[in-house]
Amino acid sequence: MKRPFYHYVTIGIVVLYLIIPLLGTFLYSFATEWNHTVLPEGLSFEWYQRLFSDSRFIDAFIRSLLISLGTTAIAVLIIVPTVCAVILYAPKLEKYIQAITVMTYAIPGIILAVGLIRSYSDFQLSKILIVMGAYFVCVIPYMYQGTRNSLRNINGAALMEAAEVLGASRWGAFRHVIVPNIIPGILVSALLSFSILFGEFVLINMIVGTRFETVQLYLFAQTSKSGHMASAIVVCYFVLMALITALIIKATSSRKTKKRAAPKKTWFKLTLPKKEAVKS
Amino acid sequence: MSYVAIKNIRKTFNDQTVLHDIELSFEKGELVTLLGPSGCGKSTLLRILAGLTRQDSGTISLDGKDITNLKPKAREIGMVFQSYALFPNMTVLENISFGLKMKKEDSQTIKNKVARMIELTGLEGKENSYPRELSGGQQQRVALARSLVMEPKVLLLDEPLSALDAQIRKKLQQQLRTIQRELKMTMVLVTHDQEEAMAISDRIFILNQGRIAQQGTPNEIYARPANEFVAGFIGNYNVLTKEELARFIPNVANWSHSIYAIRPEAFTLKKDGKSYEITGLINQVSMLGNITRYTIQNDKMTMMIDQLHQTQSTLQENESRTFFLREEDIIPIA
Amino acid sequence: MKRMNWFAASFLIPFSIMVLMFLIVPILSMIYDSFQKSGTGFTFENYQTVFESDFYLQAFANSIKISLFSSLLALFAAIFATYSLTKFPQSVQDKVMNFANLTSNFAGVPLAFAFIILLGNSGLFVLLFEKMGISGMSSFNLYSMAGIILIYIYFQLPLAVMLLFPIYHGIQDQWKEAASILGASNTQFWLRIGVPVILPSLVGTFSILFANAMGAYATVYALTGSSYNMLPVRIGALVSGDVFAQPELASALALALGVILVIAMLFNEWLMRMVRRDLR
Repeated sequence: MKRPFYHYVTIGIVVLYLIIPLLGTFLYSFATEWNHTVLPEGLSFEWYQRLFSDSRFIDAFIRSLLISLGTTAIAVLIIVPTVCAVILYAPKLEKYIQAITVMTYAIPGIILAVGLIRSYSDFQLSKILIVMGAYFVCVIPYMYQGTRNSLRNINGAALMEAAEVLGASRWGAFRHVIVPNIIPGILVSALLSFSILFGEFVLINMIVGTRFETVQLYLFAQTSKSGHMASAIVVCYFVLMALITALIIKATSSRKTKKRAAPKKTWFKLTLPKKEAVKS
Repeated sequence: MSYVAIKNIRKTFNDQTVLHDIELSFEKGELVTLLGPSGCGKSTLLRILAGLTRQDSGTISLDGKDITNLKPKAREIGMVFQSYALFPNMTVLENISFGLKMKKEDSQTIKNKVARMIELTGLEGKENSYPRELSGGQQQRVALARSLVMEPKVLLLDEPLSALDAQIRKKLQQQLRTIQRELKMTMVLVTHDQEEAMAISDRIFILNQGRIAQQGTPNEIYARPANEFVAGFIGNYNVLTKEELARFIPNVANWSHSIYAIRPEAFTLKKDGKSYEITGLINQVSMLGNITRYTIQNDKMTMMIDQLHQTQSTLQENESRTFFLREEDIIPIA
Repeated sequence: MKRMNWFAASFLIPFSIMVLMFLIVPILSMIYDSFQKSGTGFTFENYQTVFESDFYLQAFANSIKISLFSSLLALFAAIFATYSLTKFPQSVQDKVMNFANLTSNFAGVPLAFAFIILLGNSGLFVLLFEKMGISGMSSFNLYSMAGIILIYIYFQLPLAVMLLFPIYHGIQDQWKEAASILGASNTQFWLRIGVPVILPSLVGTFSILFANAMGAYATVYALTGSSYNMLPVRIGALVSGDVFAQPELASALALALGVILVIAMLFNEWLMRMVRRDLR
């Protein structure tokens, strides 16, 4: 069972490449001064103290939270029932939802931004509402995948029929049989959507700009002012993302063990790789 | 010296011994079956034969040659996998000719041999299809043809029919046997289906927990199960301890064995020479097509009895009946 | 049957309105705009401007080069690393995949900033190499094509690993065993079966990576502002520049970007058909 050495090398290279920028930023956020020496001259929490006492950061954080959570909630309330209704009652329409999914997944944020600015620049529609609308569209692929996989895993169509044969109304069957069973899967999609929207920069920067400063915009402003402050923001942002990712992994893997028979690929489908263009 | 001889094969996975010093041998042209429940080690033994799994100790010889340490491709052994393992990017034709191409045979020879195999397995017209376009039975035949065309000295088949539905399975069992006879091919079949083993084997090795529980022709094994495991695994034997038997038959106290097996079809309703009388209350009747299966009860002990189906004299539930059983049909096994 | 449609429709309406407003209308109006020039009616003038300008053509060339190289390099590294990963026990595989999942959050502004800390003008690595007396680093410029490719590789790598990992599970061990019994060597197996089977997925992964890089805006914007000449940067500058905003030109560029993505996708389909006759 001894593995050849090169297997360690290939994985090592990738892991190192991914970890060094993280470590560098992490160290930098704790360094007092680090401009001339190989190692930081001293370590302190100074930058974090300053960051958390900066009301501009707190405000930005709250704005990010509001817009991401708000849009995610709306997306869950609208997309999940739509996908369920389509899959269970109008399967012929599913291909249109799939087409929308592919479109939104393939269209870069920058293109969507141009279209939105052109369409709504003349209207008195709140810019923040436009961004939320765009965010709604951006998370369709993730919500669709999550809902569809959950329904498939519990064999939703058969459950609905069973409930209806037992005398439940259509709405009652949906409410009492389908909803409780797909909640874990929806939660994962919602977390995924939230983490994507929380890190979104392109749309908010181009459509609203600094009038509604989110964490990403605040970070962008700080990068040219204080590198240490900026790295503290990056670390905070990354820790939040790590927490959400851990939650997602925990939720998906615990269900994986419960359902042994599920093929390996469900892992892949449940966590549709995040498209960087949404945020990068 | 036998054509294939396996000696003292031992294999341990993670401190669990799956094969305990297996010894078995068979002759050229035989179709032998490794039969046993899942986890008995039969597939591991087959993979060791093919050279895909390394044994911890023991030797294997084939046609007088020691092949213990040879690589799979040097063994002149073919194998059909349970999942068929057809190459999805190749057509039927390409799949079947793959091995010959690896052997660098000239294209005319390849063409002839492959054409013959396609005819033999009845795959005409499917030459240019891809595996995913074929039915399970057709895929199975491609897998068979791909191995046979190499003219191996021994062909190993790992549960080759288990993924197919019952009707096709029966048909392919017969086809497999016909091809084997026609080519005089030595084959080792792994299965957990005792009916399949009985139907097509020349010889059966029954494996249980990494040991050979019994070997013999289908007839020998069916008529004389050597131990409780085989009696339980083959057919629907009634397996009883001497004490249990005593509730049906008096005067067994001085018999020498402690466990006995009785075939359910050995019971008759008419006395025939020196027979024992077995009396009990019929408490279950089930129709199994050409036979009817009764469960009779006596003092909380039940026994299964099969009778050829006859429209006239069907026995009723809750009826007390006496059956007759010849002495030689009570098989001592332990 | 009627009740069924009511049930579905009551959810479909809000969903359709959102998609229409924030996806279909913006895209269509962008396409329409790209053929307009300050109210003169239908015209190809914008496209003429784009394709006659060395400046815009350079933006195309830079974007394509950077996307191509970063995708190829990331794919190359991921092919080997992911294959190596399949040789490790499940627990190690899970850990590395979770790590890839986690780092996929690290893109856009935070990523650009982390690289500035490491390799910027007074970056940690630059300092380190200076102290060690290695002069090669002084000629390295993070704000050049090479630097941008390096950063792009970072966000491409986790994506590539996550997309490729399930592909290797598509190669059944029994194919290898069957091939070895039939006399094929390991190399012959990969040449005749392994590579042909995974090639379509590799090409598919490549086209996702390429599209991802083509649309990426935040990373390069955070790194160089509007100074590095790439397609998304040009589009952004043309819509957001308050005085010199030329939204119609931006629309033409955005549509051209979209067309490049579609071509990449069609190329992917075509290549797939070429290599895998069995998937036709």
